[in-house]
Amino acid sequence: MRLASKKAFVTGGRQGIGRGIVDAFLAEGADVVTCGRGPKPDDLETEWLTLDVCDPKAVADTIQYLGAFDVLVNNAGVQVEKTVVDSTDADWDLVIDTNARGVFNLCRAAIPHMREGGSIINLGSISGTVADPSMALYNASKAFVHGLTRSIAVDHGPKIRCNAICPGWIETGMLDAGFDLANNPARAKTDAIARHAVRRFGKPADIAAMAVWLASDEAGFATGQLFTIDGGMTAASPLNPGLF
Amino acid sequence: MMLDGKIALVTGARGGIGRAIVARFVKEGATVFAADLTPEGSLAAHVEDGSHFVKLDVTHEADAVAAMDRVREEHGRLDILVNAAGIEIEKTIEETSLAEWNRSFAVNVTGTFLTSKYALPLLREAAKLGKSASLINFGSYDGFIADPGLAAYCATKGAVHALTRAMACDHGPEGIRVNAICPGYIDTPMLQSFFNGDGSGGGGGNIETLQKAVRDVHPMRTYGTPEDIANLVNWLASDEARYASGQLWVLDGGLSAQVQQMRL
Repeated sequence: MRLASKKAFVTGGRQGIGRGIVDAFLAEGADVVTCGRGPKPDDLETEWLTLDVCDPKAVADTIQYLGAFDVLVNNAGVQVEKTVVDSTDADWDLVIDTNARGVFNLCRAAIPHMREGGSIINLGSISGTVADPSMALYNASKAFVHGLTRSIAVDHGPKIRCNAICPGWIETGMLDAGFDLANNPARAKTDAIARHAVRRFGKPADIAAMAVWLASDEAGFATGQLFTIDGGMTAASPLNPGLF
Repeated sequence: MMLDGKIALVTGARGGIGRAIVARFVKEGATVFAADLTPEGSLAAHVEDGSHFVKLDVTHEADAVAAMDRVREEHGRLDILVNAAGIEIEKTIEETSLAEWNRSFAVNVTGTFLTSKYALPLLREAAKLGKSASLINFGSYDGFIADPGLAAYCATKGAVHALTRAMACDHGPEGIRVNAICPGYIDTPMLQSFFNGDGSGGGGGNIETLQKAVRDVHPMRTYGTPEDIANLVNWLASDEARYASGQLWVLDGGLSAQVQQMRL
């Protein structure tokens, strides 16, 4: 039980990676509270708060309600599959408000309430470092998360550690939405798997395993870093001659 | 017990970081082959830690072959290889002799190559059992950002980073994960040597001032311990890290997250 006696708050715990992190934290003995914009999912067996991370007042009230805690996971995020030219003002508001301002809102409110030795884990992305096509605002929002992660580590160490996990392609609703853009989604999936050194996509549990480690005291010297879990995809050149 | 039943070999096993990795692996239930030049390694005392000592000079091909032959005879497979053997020459390139340059590459790069080359068939056997085998190299924070007066060392670590990515691409499909850990300032005999240097680390003989300056420039206000590194090696070696491959894992107390320059 690597997270026994730790209290954690995970945003976006309804599904996908967020839910995987909530389940892993519970399995490791943490006291976990999670949140999302809608009602509590039926199968969730821990406290759920209805919260829109874009709303600074609601975020501040939630942090007050939580009291002192140890681990903050900023997982809530959205993606819009468009180029810069196609993106509307509404797209900007949606993506940047959630992925950038939401993380800012949570960190600003939470840091003064976190216990000494606390750990903030932000969900960045490989897309914050290398661009996915037609994901302009999402890519940019994740680069913001990477920069904010380093800043918090530098400004608020040694009281707080702050790191980002950069998932590659993880089997979630978001991944399927990406493949739906392809001319031939089935062929695109086969090609994508061949570009992964481990020859599969990731699962939410693969990301949750790193989150458990970063949340635990074992990671006491880890701060200010981006930890990529992508099955080896970004270790290879995008131009993979073996696939021609 | 995150490594219960796993077979591991650690090179540089009697050095500062290697020793902590061996101790952790034993504690997590692995059978550990501790490979080094001598049972004592670079430190004064030999420690009975439950591991099996293997005499291995990583620059000698015959030693690498013999070490892997022993693992094959006793277990038929290897689940975890950690290439932790490394040396540091504290000089600029002008001061570095060709022999020192070659020695740096022989241990840090060729050593990683040779041990990995002869471990791969055994790692493949482990992967066939359904769990991913894990190969962990030692890069360094210095493979990204240079410390003064460590030219050959920085260059060897850059080479290890590139080799790590290349091996991850080539052997991932066989079920072998390859990663590198990139430590920052860790309290080891190697770091003490750097502090004691005649200006290469900027110490000028005042080790207390230098140590305090180094601590204060870290966001975590301390340098790391070998156990901090062993914590991540353990995770990467375990099945929890089954989707982690091809990455360079910086563990430096936040040091390289800053633009700030070291003012030693």
